[in-house]
Amino acid sequence: MFALVHLVPGDPVRLALGTRFSQETYDALRERSGLDQPLLEQFVTWLGRAVTGDLGVSFRSGETVTSQIAERLPATLTLAFASILVALVIAVPLGTISALRPRSVVDRVATVISQFGISVPDFWMGIVLILVFAGTLGWLPSGGYVPLTEDPGGWLQRLLMPALVTGVVSGSVITRFVRSSVLEALGSDHVRTAQAKGLGSRQVFTWHVLRNALLPLVTVTGVQLAYLLSGVVVVEIVFSWPGLGQLALQAVEARDYPVLQGAILLFALVFLVINLVVDLLYSAIDPRIRR
Amino acid sequence: MSGDPVLEVEDLRVRLRTPRGPAEVVNGLSYTVGAGETVAVVGESGSGKSVSVLALLGLLPARVATVTGRALLQGEDLLTMPPERLRQVRGPGAGMVFQDPMTSLNPVLTIGRQLVEGIRAHGDVSKSAARTRAAELLREVGLPDPEKALDRYPHELSGGMRQRVVIAIALSNSPSLLIADEATTALDVTVQAQIIDLVEKLQAEHGTGVIWITHDLGVVAGIADRVLVMYGGRCVEDGTVDDVLERPAHPYTRGLLGSLPDLAAPAGPDGEVPELTTVPGLPPPPTDLPPGCVFWPRCPVRADPRCETEQPPLAVVSRAAAGATASGALEEGSRLPHRAATWCTEGGQG
Repeated sequence: MFALVHLVPGDPVRLALGTRFSQETYDALRERSGLDQPLLEQFVTWLGRAVTGDLGVSFRSGETVTSQIAERLPATLTLAFASILVALVIAVPLGTISALRPRSVVDRVATVISQFGISVPDFWMGIVLILVFAGTLGWLPSGGYVPLTEDPGGWLQRLLMPALVTGVVSGSVITRFVRSSVLEALGSDHVRTAQAKGLGSRQVFTWHVLRNALLPLVTVTGVQLAYLLSGVVVVEIVFSWPGLGQLALQAVEARDYPVLQGAILLFALVFLVINLVVDLLYSAIDPRIRR
Repeated sequence: MSGDPVLEVEDLRVRLRTPRGPAEVVNGLSYTVGAGETVAVVGESGSGKSVSVLALLGLLPARVATVTGRALLQGEDLLTMPPERLRQVRGPGAGMVFQDPMTSLNPVLTIGRQLVEGIRAHGDVSKSAARTRAAELLREVGLPDPEKALDRYPHELSGGMRQRVVIAIALSNSPSLLIADEATTALDVTVQAQIIDLVEKLQAEHGTGVIWITHDLGVVAGIADRVLVMYGGRCVEDGTVDDVLERPAHPYTRGLLGSLPDLAAPAGPDGEVPELTTVPGLPPPPTDLPPGCVFWPRCPVRADPRCETEQPPLAVVSRAAAGATASGALEEGSRLPHRAATWCTEGGQG
């Protein structure tokens, strides 16, 4: 990953200095940022600092990478959790209804909706929403972010559209999973046993169908959440949402190696943590995994 | 204990919608089960055995299954019952034990919970009272350390133990009819014998009528009072165990019995074991049943030209001698007819 970042053509020092600079300034900056060292040495130095929590200093702004990430984190967390909420609110009922009436009109409509969500590009959906709700109707601001603590109303207004776009995309994926796992749970033998016991249909459904369909749902939700937390680059750009995806993109453009490496490291950590949480949830949900 | 039958099935028909067209899975099945009586239903896979009992309790998916006929459980028709009444009947009216104990319990709920919810679905019982009852049931079915077993999950028990739990669930509301759908097929022989003993014991205690679905004729001889042989969704022969197993009338039943390995058969001169006889061919697909006798395509006899074009009716072959039934509960055994749906009662392999 480290090597890949450095392999990207373009010279960060040149980009930082602009168009007019002397060779001395160039060399001095190169030396100061350690870019004159061999790549392997740079990596070892970076790694050594990274484990102590020092991710270096941004070439572009001169701020520490950790402070830049910390600044962007709330926006990303807000959008990720709001999106997953939207996704689950769409996916669980829609997937369940489709599974209960496979091949019915409802199922076909749900399939079309989720196929639409999966295949339509999120930036297009974002632009259409902006045109309709910010442009024509003027109900919502077209983008930006304010912290919840400063202006709750404005926070919600600005969150609504980006959360809807990413939520619909994730929700479409999750809907397909919910449908197939509920369908599978419905066909299992123990559901027949539960019916034969004389349980009411609601009880059968809650405890013998949904409860068993939970495991795949947790998996796919975890994957989607990890994806959302590592910044939804395109949507963040469309809605000028100051999240990690936007930060990473700006870092790429400026060849700001420390920031880019820091962001990538964080994304990797996010995946690890989410997978750990998902595994822990598994054992809480499924006694067969418990020890 | 005789008197009114627990279950009276009349002209039960089940049609399933399949991708290959409608399948006539059960075609006019009629039988009765008396209190304390065990009726074995035998036949190959796909003969409609399981579907015929699932249909009784409305356990077939309504989207694909059309069930017609009558099925009176203690005088009430199961097939026309409103859903809520049917729910009430499942459990106290008829309990069911399924084929595969590995999959018929919910893997994510404790044994105790699965028993308790069944008990509480049919009466205003407190959780703790239901739990006590659940432990009693587990003791009754011979599960060691029942109190502890309540908090266990299905995967912590062996197949035989799980099947005991499934039986405990089926018996938890003291049903008047117990349906065992290949309940011992997935178990090894010693466990199978234990389960059969258990059901017989519980049946003797509670006077439950039992429908025992199996393709194991050894089990039939051991447990049943009467036998119903199914083929192509039809009853092709029924009667007392002695009649059907000793004097089979239908060529299919004769073939089925002929294909049992005979351990007592003398070995050949070189010590080789006599070869097993089989019924050649496969059962007809339920989407494409033959117009005449369902067994005609595979029948080695074909004694009557009508076999090919007409379905032979279920006709009385003989009447069982008095006291021929295995169970003392049926004193009027002399009235039990031995019937077969065939014109080929003589000849063939008989």
